Amino acid sequence: MKEDEMIICRCEEVSYEELETAAAKYKCSARELKLRTRAGMGYCGGRSCRTMVDKIAAASANDQNRTCVSLKYQPPIRPISFENLGRGR
Amino acid sequence: MNDTFHRDIVVIGGGIIGSSIAYYCSKSGLDITVLEKKELASGTSSKCDGNILAVDKDPGFDSQMALKSQQLVHELNNELEIPFEYRNPGSVLVCENDTEMEAAQKWVQQQQDAGLDFRMLDREDLRNESAYFADDLLGGLECRTDSIVNPYMLTYSMIHRAKQFGAKIHTNTEVKNLYKNQVNQFVIETNDGIFTANKVVNACGVWAPFIGEMLDIDISIKPRKGQIIVASRQQPVGLRNVMEFGYLISKFGGERQVDPLTDKYGVALVFEPTESQNFLIGSSRQFNGYDTKVDHEVMKYIAKRAVRFYPKIADMTVIRTYAGLRPWTADHLPIISHVEKVPGFYIAAGHEGDGISLAAITGKVIEEMINEKDTSIPIELLRYDRFHVNAKP
Ligand code: FES
Repeated sequence: MKEDEMIICRCEEVSYEELETAAAKYKCSARELKLRTRAGMGYCGGRSCRTMVDKIAAASANDQNRTCVSLKYQPPIRPISFENLGRGR
Repeated sequence: MNDTFHRDIVVIGGGIIGSSIAYYCSKSGLDITVLEKKELASGTSSKCDGNILAVDKDPGFDSQMALKSQQLVHELNNELEIPFEYRNPGSVLVCENDTEMEAAQKWVQQQQDAGLDFRMLDREDLRNESAYFADDLLGGLECRTDSIVNPYMLTYSMIHRAKQFGAKIHTNTEVKNLYKNQVNQFVIETNDGIFTANKVVNACGVWAPFIGEMLDIDISIKPRKGQIIVASRQQPVGLRNVMEFGYLISKFGGERQVDPLTDKYGVALVFEPTESQNFLIGSSRQFNGYDTKVDHEVMKYIAKRAVRFYPKIADMTVIRTYAGLRPWTADHLPIISHVEKVPGFYIAAGHEGDGISLAAITGKVIEEMINEKDTSIPIELLRYDRFHVNAKP
């Protein structure tokens, strides 16, 4: 397998190449890169891919984006069912 | 000061409203500059659902404005280069008791009279709509023109096109001060240089009052907090946007037959299928200042409410939750207005939960106002000073 095809975000099946292309095109923050490619927005909430997505964005960000905004977790910490959330577990 | 830029029109705010203004104005040939304090779509426009709805608009002016906006979004789907997950399946309101069914009947009648594509649904229709619905739901109504977008992708897409039309976008550029100089130009001081401009559009949503204050203009918008759940589905739960009829009551402030906390938190079911393998569940409405922390207690009631309407999603997984601030106005209509007291100053804000629905028409109308054309919709009801009528001497 070529390096480019390597899947960075498994939950959303986003490859290294897709992330690189989007990062080069928009020179955006990690947050925007995530929203544009969906990397980090999958089932695991970015726990497996977040650092890589952050790095790819940081590597291509231009001066305009010098304030580096890294991805942050949104609650819940772990996926939870509606039933358990509704019961306040 | 070496960093001074002169621009014709400066739009403050890079959310979906500012982006739509940038798109329609630059397309018409105007020189547009957008100043955004953080990133594009980093406030309310990425903390919301993506429904473009007429179903929940007051019959008449409000719903017709939404219909116009839907038509524009439909056109945008062909005009814009970056796809924004546009789907046009219509939407559904479900009723849980006879009182709501009667009210729904009236709502449908009024909307049809206003020229919109509404229809009642019975139990059978609901069963066909989703296998996950609770059996006791009586029926509801549908609006067939309603559509869905991905709100931040639509924002990015409009900005992308606006840039091609020559618009300049400055992110991480926060407006610190705004005033007029002796030659009647606006002076806009930011953390990244000073801009002068002939016209300024305030598209700051819940933050619009702060910009207004700088010019001594009172803008009657309050932040109303809303929370949303992102869930992962094993099976498709439904293909269209679904809300409970009580959402309307919660939006317009009527009496609902629900438990006190559901009522207090303004919790009402909203279901939105997204283009990815997820769906969104809302909603809540609370006045809580500018706080955007997710309140777990409120989430609990949103989840409970979802399970009341979709008992069979109980074991599906919540993967993310977030809270956004909706720019609320007292009459649930946005402010789209020129401020005569400060010629050249425009306001486009206060859309509460309708910012995505009404972004396109808002951008279009501001373009028409600036270009001194007839507007696509009447704008008298959207004036900024309509809330102060009684306060005037
Ligand atoms: S691997 Fe990217 S969200 Fe799970």
